[in-house]
Amino acid sequence: MDFLYHIIIMIGIYTILALAANIPVGLANLLSLAQAAFYGIGAYLSAFVLLNFNIPLLPGLFVVAITTGFFSLLISLASIRLKGDYFILAALGFQLIVFSVLYNWTDVTKGPYGISGIPPPRLFAFIELTANFQFAILSVSLAALTSFLFYYLVKSPFGRVLKSIRSDELSVSISGRNVYQFKIIAFFLSAGFSASAGFLFAGYVKYIDPTSFTLDESIFILSALFIGGLGNVKGCIVGAAVIVILPELLRFAGLPDNIAANLRQIIYGLALILVMLYFPKGLAGDTMLK
Amino acid sequence: MFLQFIINGLITGMLYTLASLGYALVYNTTRIFHLALAVLYVVAAYIFWHVTVVCGFPMFAGIFASVCFTALLSLAIDRLVYFPLFKLKASLSVVLVSSIGVFTVLTNLVALTWGNEFKAFGSDISRIYSSGNLIVTGKQLFQFIASLVLIITFFLFLNRSKTGLRIKAVRDDSELYQVLGFSLTKMRVTVFLLSGAMISLASCLTAWDIGMDPYVGMPILLNAIVALIIGGAGRFESCVIGGITLGILQALVVWQWSAQWQEAITFVVLIIFLFLRPQGFIGEKSRVV
Repeated sequence: MDFLYHIIIMIGIYTILALAANIPVGLANLLSLAQAAFYGIGAYLSAFVLLNFNIPLLPGLFVVAITTGFFSLLISLASIRLKGDYFILAALGFQLIVFSVLYNWTDVTKGPYGISGIPPPRLFAFIELTANFQFAILSVSLAALTSFLFYYLVKSPFGRVLKSIRSDELSVSISGRNVYQFKIIAFFLSAGFSASAGFLFAGYVKYIDPTSFTLDESIFILSALFIGGLGNVKGCIVGAAVIVILPELLRFAGLPDNIAANLRQIIYGLALILVMLYFPKGLAGDTMLK
Repeated sequence: MFLQFIINGLITGMLYTLASLGYALVYNTTRIFHLALAVLYVVAAYIFWHVTVVCGFPMFAGIFASVCFTALLSLAIDRLVYFPLFKLKASLSVVLVSSIGVFTVLTNLVALTWGNEFKAFGSDISRIYSSGNLIVTGKQLFQFIASLVLIITFFLFLNRSKTGLRIKAVRDDSELYQVLGFSLTKMRVTVFLLSGAMISLASCLTAWDIGMDPYVGMPILLNAIVALIIGGAGRFESCVIGGITLGILQALVVWQWSAQWQEAITFVVLIIFLFLRPQGFIGEKSRVV
């Protein structure tokens, strides 16, 4: 049973991450390669909060999400100042700098040893979330909450402005909208959502180290998004489910672990190429990458 | 000690220059964010290793095999992935994502074929040349001479030969190039072959000294890209300026602080350049869209 809960928790986490990436990538067409950096910052801040303060789940989550949001200002600034591949490069640089700091600033992050013994988060100060079953419920509820927020975001005037930035940034600013402000909010939300996935991850696994938040992880999150499809909630859930369940299927197929790991990556890579070439909307997406 | 770090930095910088030229050949002409070049770097090193260490051929045969194979693989990537996307008028982001796909697939194929562990070229202690406090290993000296010859040859080719001039013409204005009756499709073949050959040479020279595993490509490629950007995207001379600057800068970081901060400093420099001087050292000021 624990195995099933594990799958559900991971699908929840990746659904949130994919939705978070969907805001800049799917709505505003800003290909952000720094999503794992936000996820990592969120996870490390959560570990810090859970280890040092005895505050309940929701306020803790909120603090972590907001603080991570402020880190996103560096990326939104880059998206304002830089166009096209220069923005992509800056986001890539941010991702690598964050990883390097998590890995090398050993006094604070314990570097490659990681942070272990993270206490479980508490709901309303008295219920400790320890069982996987409880975490599965938490993960699904957070994913559902994020999905609702995203759903309304897409339909709201804010979402429509983001989508019009995607089609023509210049005319949006000519019609009197402050494009900068929209980009800043979009990345702030994206970072906040990613951070809440980081909170779930840190609380569930109880041990984090920098290798979970590499450039590869950023690519992995984007794979989930592209395989599922851009622009809606459905695509993110499908994408997350595919990338979480696929390795388990390979394990059931009886492949040895070392081959299965590489084979899984090959499948994701091929999927990315095929999606870009033949199915630009992914399995269930509304829009395609422009 | 200072001079020793400068020399080490210079040699690393020249190897970055070679890799950067490989990237610039594709980027300057087609604007493709060619991340799959990282895996070509890895493939080149493994072919070299396989031919020399496993099959026992001499070193130059290994390099030759590696250059040919990598150039063809580079061309195959263009034909199978980039070119169809170009026909579909796909955006740069789409091409980038597919390039990441190619990178992932090939990296893991390499890992499946040759294993995930580190590989090295023999354990012979190479000759050491020293003068005063300065020490240069025989392999470093070879790297220096070989990359110097390659860089000079490349620029002679670029500025003197007909093909080289055409590459520069495509870089300046690919539409005008087509209007004048030249084939961009043929040019892509040349550019991708050359790019693969260049990255393979960079890779062989480096791997021969410090060995490789399937994941060494991306850090080198990112250095090569940073070298191109800080030198000034759009030109080829910028690879030399950017590559050597970056190599020496990283050596100085090792000298002053420690090797672990190399990567972070590199990208901080990149971001500073992107914000304050996006045209790099010698690039022309232009609006980047």
